[in-house]
Amino acid sequence: MNKRAHEEGRQTTSIAAVVDCVGSLATGSLAGNLYLYDTNKSGGSTGHGSEDLHTRVKVGDQLLWTAFGLECETFLRIAEISMDETVCVPERHLYPGTDVSYWIATVKKNPIGELPYRLAFTVGARREPMFAPRSPVLFGTDQATA
Amino acid sequence: MNSKINVMILVDVIGALSAGTLQGGNLCMMDDGDLASTGQGTPTLITNCLPGQLIKWSALAVDVQTPVAIKSIRFRSPDGGGDEGSGAGASGVSGSGYDANLDLEVWEGIVPAYLTPGTVYRYDVELQMYEGAASILHNTSPGLMRAM
Amino acid sequence: MAQQLAIIVMVDVSAAVKARTLQGNTYLLDNMKLQGSEGEGTGALVTAINGTHWVDGSMGDEQVLNWLPCALGSIPMTVPRNYHLHRSRQIEQDALTAIRDLGNSTPGRTNVSAELGRIHGSLGTKVRYRRPGGTGRAGHIALDVTGNPTGRAPSGASSAPDHPPLLITDIFGEAVERNVIFPAQYGSPDLVTDGWYWSASVDSTREGVYSYTMALEVHRPIEENGVWAWEPVRLTYQSRLRISNRPKRNAFTGAGVSFLPVPPPEPAAPAGTLDASTTSPSLF
Repeated sequence: MNKRAHEEGRQTTSIAAVVDCVGSLATGSLAGNLYLYDTNKSGGSTGHGSEDLHTRVKVGDQLLWTAFGLECETFLRIAEISMDETVCVPERHLYPGTDVSYWIATVKKNPIGELPYRLAFTVGARREPMFAPRSPVLFGTDQATA
Repeated sequence: MNSKINVMILVDVIGALSAGTLQGGNLCMMDDGDLASTGQGTPTLITNCLPGQLIKWSALAVDVQTPVAIKSIRFRSPDGGGDEGSGAGASGVSGSGYDANLDLEVWEGIVPAYLTPGTVYRYDVELQMYEGAASILHNTSPGLMRAM
Repeated sequence: MAQQLAIIVMVDVSAAVKARTLQGNTYLLDNMKLQGSEGEGTGALVTAINGTHWVDGSMGDEQVLNWLPCALGSIPMTVPRNYHLHRSRQIEQDALTAIRDLGNSTPGRTNVSAELGRIHGSLGTKVRYRRPGGTGRAGHIALDVTGNPTGRAPSGASSAPDHPPLLITDIFGEAVERNVIFPAQYGSPDLVTDGWYWSASVDSTREGVYSYTMALEVHRPIEENGVWAWEPVRLTYQSRLRISNRPKRNAFTGAGVSFLPVPPPEPAAPAGTLDASTTSPSLF
């Protein structure tokens, strides 16, 4: 384990999305069927379990998004993450040797205020992705107190 | 001759909700009657039966952690007339989405004596999967037929 | 047939290990939201179990609970549980192939020591598991949350090691002591659970709210004599069930069993009626 890098202050924050696949497909919407979490609660993130998770970030942090269905055997995948690309550019990768994907990005600059971003998911066998109606947010350290 | 026939309705809930239809392999019907029913394993099951036999319908989801329940079974006149015959869920409560009540409903009844032998009496099965705009799907092709 | 109940237990494992508690780091989700579960997605879930009974009081549907533990901030559970082992073997295999290719390369063309250094670096660090009686000798390559050896993430930044899978080691407490639920650990070929999962049948005639406690095993990274190891840490977390029980009834009649509502045949026209449209010989 690279202990030094661990202590350097650069951090990897994982953001996990849990989708109720049956609920989303039956109602036609992710509203009420999406739960977001991240691993930076101790660093100030809020809204764990809600659709508008507020993730605290700083320059150099690595962000990693994963998703799975509440019904664990149902197919689910993040189809798209759209946000202001001056802050970070999420890219999709596969876990080596599998067809399970994750999205990863490095925070290039401190977001000023709150930066909302949009998530879209491919649920079950439905071809068109479903967009989350509410936007989770990245927010940075206040410039004045940095 | 068995006094009871079980009709099993097997549903791929995720497949059905994703495609918006029970067709295309998302629905499979089977019965355990011993009078050679036809269409076993398809949505067009014709269950051969005799007056006095008890028929019981059950719905089962392929993924046991997904919900499916029978919302109604409506019989149609064999001459293709309007969908007469009650048989909507006797819960009779206002249709405010999913009812935990649906798990309380037991869909069984006795084959009446006035069925004409050799005639197919079709019925419409309505299935409810969770709640919402896309949650109710129909299969209008199965039927009962009096064997003799 | 009633669906099986699934409860997902999600724990922010590195935070739980640091704080030595699951409080505030545990989130519970189930598939019974429509049936009345409360606190969905929070640490304070109350799982609704809607039991049914027949007229003689016997249980109508069998209610089955299944628990699925998952670690927040780890490789997700859609990746098979023994991924660490397979990936570790694959990385070692790749290194052996690279060494063989190096051996076959033209002398003088390749900077052998630099290439060997690169291969060595690609192997990352090994990590073992600590068990009573000492640290195990066998280990596997530590992976980070992207599935690469720590220090080799695609973005180039080094990352913290991915924790071993979260385990439930026991389920006990009020609901178990009072014989409301009967939990046990079962074997399964399912890749998601990789062999073991906890399941319980429910005596759904016992209406009321009952608590139960889960014993969970998380892991803490420690260093011993230059060897990195995961040390298990056992923590507990409590949740609740709310059981209700309602009578079944016949769906066609709302009460007991009767004839199927197949439309009866139209009654035949009574004798003696003269109908202008009939072409058959008149009746008299």
